[in-house]
Amino acid sequence: MASRRRMLLKVIILGDSGVGKTSLMNQYVNKKFSNQYKATIGADFLTKEVQIDDRLFTLQIWDTAGQERFQSLGVAFYRGADCCVLVYDVNVTKSFERLNSWREEFLIQASPSDPENFPFVVLGNKIDVDGGNSRTVSEKKAKAWCASKGNIPYFETSAKEGFNVEAAFECIARNAIKNEPEEEIYLPDTIDVGGAGRQQRSSGCEC
Amino acid sequence: MRREEASAAAAEAGTPRSPDLHDLSDDSDYAAAAAASSSHSAMRSDLVDQGSGETAKVDVVYEKERVTIHPTQYGSGRISGKLRLYLQQGSLFLSWEPNEGVDSLSSNSATMEIEKYRNLYTIKALPLSDVRFIRKHTPTFGFEYIIIVLSSGLAFPPFYFYNGGLRELFATLKKHVFIIRSDDDPNVFLVNDFQDPLQKSLSSLELPGVATVANAMSRQNSLSFTSSVDEAGHGSDAKHGASSSMTEYVSKQKHRSNDPGRDLSIQVLEKFSLVTKFARDTTSSLFRENHSSGGHTYGRQQQEYVLDNRANDKYKDQQITPDKDSLLSDSMESNKILAWGKPREQPLSVDEWRSFLDPEGRVMDSKALRKKVFYGGIDHVLRKEVWKFLLGYHEYDSTYAEREYLAVMKRTEYEAIKSQWKSISSTQAKRFTKFRERKGLIDKDVVRTDRSVPYYEGDDNQNVLVLRDILLTYSFYNFDLGYCQGMSDFLAPILYVMEDESESFWCFAILMERLGANFNRDQNGMHAQLLALSKLVELLDPQLHNYFRKNDCLNYFFCFRWVLIQFKREFSFDQIMLLWEVLWTHYWSEHFHLYLCVAILKRYRSRIIGEQMDFDTLLKFINELSGEINLDRAIQTRRHYVISQPLTGLPAFLLEPRLLCPSRRTVASTYKKTRSCEIPAI
Ligand SMILES: Nc1nc2c(ncn2[C@@H]2O[C@H](COP(=O)(O)OP(=O)(O)O)[C@@H](O)[C@H]2O)c(=O)[nH]1
Ligand SMILES: [Mg+2]
Repeated sequence: MASRRRMLLKVIILGDSGVGKTSLMNQYVNKKFSNQYKATIGADFLTKEVQIDDRLFTLQIWDTAGQERFQSLGVAFYRGADCCVLVYDVNVTKSFERLNSWREEFLIQASPSDPENFPFVVLGNKIDVDGGNSRTVSEKKAKAWCASKGNIPYFETSAKEGFNVEAAFECIARNAIKNEPEEEIYLPDTIDVGGAGRQQRSSGCEC
Repeated sequence: MRREEASAAAAEAGTPRSPDLHDLSDDSDYAAAAAASSSHSAMRSDLVDQGSGETAKVDVVYEKERVTIHPTQYGSGRISGKLRLYLQQGSLFLSWEPNEGVDSLSSNSATMEIEKYRNLYTIKALPLSDVRFIRKHTPTFGFEYIIIVLSSGLAFPPFYFYNGGLRELFATLKKHVFIIRSDDDPNVFLVNDFQDPLQKSLSSLELPGVATVANAMSRQNSLSFTSSVDEAGHGSDAKHGASSSMTEYVSKQKHRSNDPGRDLSIQVLEKFSLVTKFARDTTSSLFRENHSSGGHTYGRQQQEYVLDNRANDKYKDQQITPDKDSLLSDSMESNKILAWGKPREQPLSVDEWRSFLDPEGRVMDSKALRKKVFYGGIDHVLRKEVWKFLLGYHEYDSTYAEREYLAVMKRTEYEAIKSQWKSISSTQAKRFTKFRERKGLIDKDVVRTDRSVPYYEGDDNQNVLVLRDILLTYSFYNFDLGYCQGMSDFLAPILYVMEDESESFWCFAILMERLGANFNRDQNGMHAQLLALSKLVELLDPQLHNYFRKNDCLNYFFCFRWVLIQFKREFSFDQIMLLWEVLWTHYWSEHFHLYLCVAILKRYRSRIIGEQMDFDTLLKFINELSGEINLDRAIQTRRHYVISQPLTGLPAFLLEPRLLCPSRRTVASTYKKTRSCEIPAI
């Protein structure tokens, strides 16, 4: 049996201002959408407990300000991240084009031990807008980019409608777990070392 | 032999380790002094180590008696001492040891005070490798002095050279360490110049100010160095008596906005010196929190903040002719007020406001006005008028007629700037990415700014569009700064008060001149302020500072939002108008907002320490202080004041803990436990 103790998984949400980072986080954690959220200043996080394959985790989701000039703050917040979520707005091409620099900036500032394999998840948000008619970035294009960056899992979401948000964060959580060093996953009182469960997990979620 | 060594060192310092134009060897003054002091140092080298019991050999290369500090800033107390440079194992060190006894004309109590600081200021062995720069001051009247600023951003109080010897000092330094004159300020000597300060500021956020100071140094123009106090702190007073014709006004405005060197980092750090002593006294009375260890721990601290050169020049002047208007007397006065307490006042009323004006509409006593506002705030109906003065849009000594004229002129000017973007057609916009991006960013932000305030409520709200127009116009007016998140937070209350697009624009533009550094692309204004905040906490609450240090919280990013938008998100809309007008008076200190940060942190210190908050928890805790602040109606009708703490005369809500207290849950629970009870099985 897996340990009952909860582990903290740190997730960072990045992307241009206004793509819906704060809304996604709130939709996932509080199951609410409000168009009264204020622009994020500095950084904040919400936590949520999740159960994955019999084990409990605390997902700590960090939301930061999206404007470029605040990026230098990242150093303080990105450290120790287990997964990075890159968000763009499917109706704003620029926000998609900036994904790459967000990714690179993250890798520089967080300096994870294994940057090649650090888990990212990409979300194309606001698919509800105008019934999809104002969309400027196609799913195909987004998936192609994700594929080119080492098969980053991709989700299309609507924070407003709550569409696909749960599924996206499940994948995010699973990827975050993968990133954790194994000895930390299995606590000392755990006997099941190198069990089948882990094999399964390391293959990642089928997202 | 010593002489040989010294000249070898000199030769080395002169070799093009950096082919810098400002190498001191260009300077004939210094060359002459160097010659003079090399014999000097040879002579001194006989006076080896005076029994400090150290094993390594100490070679004194410079020594000067009657190098004096003025610790209390009151002009009455001084501590004379001996400044030395010595070599030990190839490295240069600086020491300063006070003499016995105070050479002071001061009263007994002041003498005792000085005795207290004697050991505080002793410098046993400061490696020159820790020094960032030395600033030299050679006032026309009075003694020359230097300020030593460390890499950490800290600085020692000024050392006054009563017996001269400044030149020799620099000549000796030049021989032993790498020292260059700053490009931008001939009085600044960079001791350990490093290559790319910006890079460092981004990568070593442990000490954001290190690079910020350096960075500022390299870009600093002389204006900001010499005029920081007047310009920022007493701008309005300084302008007293000057005729305020429109052209002059306009050129003044232009000058200000074109001055990129008005760098907060220097200002913030420099001005701290002025308030160190003052701060210690006032804040302890302000907060009435005497931690057993507080004062004592401070007593062991040996570092002081960067001293403001201008203020010290003034201070010196004061020894000759007392200057009533100087910052110094200002702080002394506030000191008294704060120390003895003062009953809280009513907000500035219409009648009172009239009594401040002469028949032509000039504010006769701007200082009294600022004081009144500082202690009482402003009746809401008057804000529209008085804010323009506080912000500096109107000169205090302008007449009704001048102000009317100004409004007309400024409206025309505003429309002209606005038309710059209004005339951009959609086809042109397609080819103008920067414009589209800015507009997009602003569009997104105005619809999430204060929407719960009735003035900005609802779909298709016209006032939201005005916000948008002003911000977009501002981003053309100050294209380099552009739009930055947080600006809409500042503008919303201003527009609400002014109810006029052009006037709001100009008030906002002037506010951005004060606060623009917060929004700089390289964030150096913010880094400087957070550094300043950390220094202030170190000074005022060493125990809390130590706690932050041990828990890796010294970057103070948890206060980022407080500082960036001056508590906008922490208080209600009504409260923030009151708080801002208090801040804008600059009455007590231009950096009152930083003191406020300290005040709030001190309020919660026992919880922060008691609950052993780590960085994450602390950030969460602080973010959650906001939104929990619900100002109830009763308080509002009492004109926003809480009458529970009459101790200081400061707006009491600033110190009222209940208002800042998160209501229900504890931080630990918000952080550690989930908010929804449901645990989703995945
Ligand atoms: N229609 C729609 N609007 C959204 C969605 N997500 C966010 N928004 C809106 O987009 C704006 C920016 O959202 P926010 O979460 O603050 O973005 P952030 O700057 O990335 O944190 C707000 O006005 C939100 O109401 C979505 O999925 N659909
Ligand atoms: Mg946000």
